[in-house]
Amino acid sequence: MLTIKENLKEVMTGGNPERFVKQYEFMEMIMSVPMTRMKPPIGGEIVNEWGVTIRWPEGQIGSFPVHDDELIVIKDICEWKDYVNAPNLKHSDDAWKTAIAQAAAVNRKEKYVTAFMAPGLFELTHFLMRMENALMNFYEEPEAMHELIDFFTQYELDYAREVIDHIHPDALFHHDDWGSQISTFLSPAMFEEFFVPAYKKIYGFWKENGVEIIVHHSDSYAATLVPYMIEMGIDIWQGVMTTNNISELIEKYGNDITFMGGVDSGIVDKPDWTQEQINTEFRRACTNYGKLYFIPGLSQGLAISSFPGVYEAADEAIDNMSKEMF
Amino acid sequence: MSKIAEVKNLVETGKSKKVAAAVQESLDAGDKAQDILDAMIASMGVVGDKFSSGEIFVPEMLIAAKAMSKGVEVLKPIMAGDGSSSLGTCIMGTVAGDLHDIGKNLVVMMLESAGFDMVDLGVDVPAEKFVEAVKQNNNVVLIACSGLLTTTMPALKEAVQTVKAACPDMKVIVGGAPVTQEYADEIDADGYAPDAGSSASKAKEILGL
Ligand code: B12
Repeated sequence: MLTIKENLKEVMTGGNPERFVKQYEFMEMIMSVPMTRMKPPIGGEIVNEWGVTIRWPEGQIGSFPVHDDELIVIKDICEWKDYVNAPNLKHSDDAWKTAIAQAAAVNRKEKYVTAFMAPGLFELTHFLMRMENALMNFYEEPEAMHELIDFFTQYELDYAREVIDHIHPDALFHHDDWGSQISTFLSPAMFEEFFVPAYKKIYGFWKENGVEIIVHHSDSYAATLVPYMIEMGIDIWQGVMTTNNISELIEKYGNDITFMGGVDSGIVDKPDWTQEQINTEFRRACTNYGKLYFIPGLSQGLAISSFPGVYEAADEAIDNMSKEMF
Repeated sequence: MSKIAEVKNLVETGKSKKVAAAVQESLDAGDKAQDILDAMIASMGVVGDKFSSGEIFVPEMLIAAKAMSKGVEVLKPIMAGDGSSSLGTCIMGTVAGDLHDIGKNLVVMMLESAGFDMVDLGVDVPAEKFVEAVKQNNNVVLIACSGLLTTTMPALKEAVQTVKAACPDMKVIVGGAPVTQEYADEIDADGYAPDAGSSASKAKEILGL
C-alpha cells in the first residue's frame, strides 16, 4: 500500500494513486512555533502581534479586526513606517522546545512536517488599514504600497529562516485570501504587479531550504490567478471553491498545480449539517473532478470545521468515494 | 471633449483628485448642476455594469465612487434644498451576527451614486433597528440588508419579517455571497441582486422608478 505521501505524489504527478487524498491528511501542521498568531477569546479583545486590535463579540462565529479611526494601525499610508512594527521573531531555545518535539514526532515517510503562515501579504495590507483603504491605495499610493509589501516580504523571509532552522519543514501551508467567492479582489494585472514578485521570493526561499511542497490557501474564486500561482511556485491551491470551473482548471493546469477543495464549507458546514448532504457534495466533487491533480476537501483553511463533526464526516464521505472509485 | 464628458470620464476612471475641478469648470462653462449630476450617475452605472461583468474589480469601483463623491461635494451647495434629484431614503445594514461590511459598503456607494439618500446602520444590526430607522428618518422607501455568513441567513429572514410586520408596504432588498434569488423569495424579500453593480437597477425596479 502506498504511504500517504506516496499516494499524494501519484495524484500530483498524474500517476496511479490508490485512493483519494483525504483533505489535510498529508500535512502535520506545526502550530506550536513560538510566533503563533494571537487570537481573542469569545467575548474578548486583544491587540495582536502586529498591533491590530481584534475583537470577538459574544454571539459571533469568529473574530474581527477593529478598524475605527482610533484603533486602525496605519493611519496614513505615506507614513506607514511610523505605524508598522514587525512582530518579534527571536525566541529562546526553550520557547522552541514544543515545536521541535512536535516536528520530531512526525513520521516523515508518511507525512510532511508543515510550517504554517497566516495572514498572508495581501491580508496583512487590509488587516493593518482596512480593506477599502488598502484597495484604493494600490491605485492612489502605489509606491508606498510596494514599500509596505517589501517590508512584509522581508518579515516573511525572516520568519521562514527561523522556522527552517528550528523544525526543518518539508511543506508550507500559507494563507492569503485573494478573492470573494465570485471574483478576485484585485485585477490580475494589479495582482501580478504587487504580489507575484514578492511571493516568488518567499516561496522560492522555502523551497531552497528543504521545503518540497507549497500549499496556498485562498478559499475564493481565483481561477484567473492560477498561472501566477504556478509562477510563484505553488504546488497545491487549497480552498478552490465551486465558483471556479475546477474541471477546466485541472484539464488546463493539472500538470503544474494540484487543486484541493471542491466542496464549499459555507454549504455543508452549518449547525444542522447532515452526513447525507456531505456525501452528496463529495460524490459530486470526486466524480466531476476525478482522481488526478485533485484533492477532495472542505474549502476551510485548516483541518477543522466550524461545526463539530463536519470535518470527520467529510473524511468519511471521501473514504466512501475511494472505495467506490478505486 | 465637452466639460461634462470629461467629468464622466474622470468618474469612470476614478480620478478623484481631478473631478472637483472638472465639475467646477463644467459649471463655469454653463452646464446645469442637474445635468452634471446625471452624467456622474450614468458613469457609476457604467462602472457598476463593468463590475458585474467582471471587467473591473473592487478597487476600480471604490475609486470611481470616491471620485463621484468629490464631484457631488461641489454640486451639493448649489443643489441644496432641491430635493428633486433624490430617489428617497434607503436604510442599509449588515444583519445581526455578521460583521462583514465590504460588500455592504459597495452597495451603499452604488445606491448613493444612483440617487438614494443612504443611511448606513453599520454591521451586526438587529432586526428591530431597521424598523426604528424607518421611523427616525424621512421618506424611507427601501431597506437593504446584507448577510455574508450562512449562519446569519436566519437573521436576514428575521430582518425582512420584522420590517414587513412593522411596515407592511416597505420594500426590502437583500444580498450577500450566500444569498440567492430563491432564498430571497423564500423569506419574502422584494428583491435580490448578486452584486453591487446590479443593486441600483434592481432597487429602482422594485420601487417602480
Ligand atoms: C474579506 C473576508 C473577511 C474579512 C472581512 C473584512 C470586512 N470588513 O468585511 C475578515 C478577515 C475580517 C473576515 C472575518 C470573518 N470571516 Co470572512 N470572509 C471574507 C471573504 C474572503 C470575502 C468577503 C468579501 O468581502 N467579499 C467582497 C465583497 C465585495 O463581496 P460580497 O461581500 O459578496 O458582496 C457583494 C455581493 O454579495 C453583493 N451584496 C452584498 N451585500 C448585499 C446587500 C444587498 C441588499 C445587495 C443587493 C447586494 C449585496 O454586492 C457586493 C458587491 O458586489 C469571504 C470569502 C468569500 N469567498 O466570500 C470570507 C467569508 C465570508 N468569511 C467567513 C468566515 C467564517 C469569517 C469569520 C467567522 C472567520 C473567523 N475569524 O473565524 C469572521 C467573521 C466574523 C463575523 N461574525 O462576521 C466565511 C463564511 C462561511 C460561512 N459559513 O458562511 C467565508 C465565506 C470564508 C469561508 N469560505 O470560510 N472575513
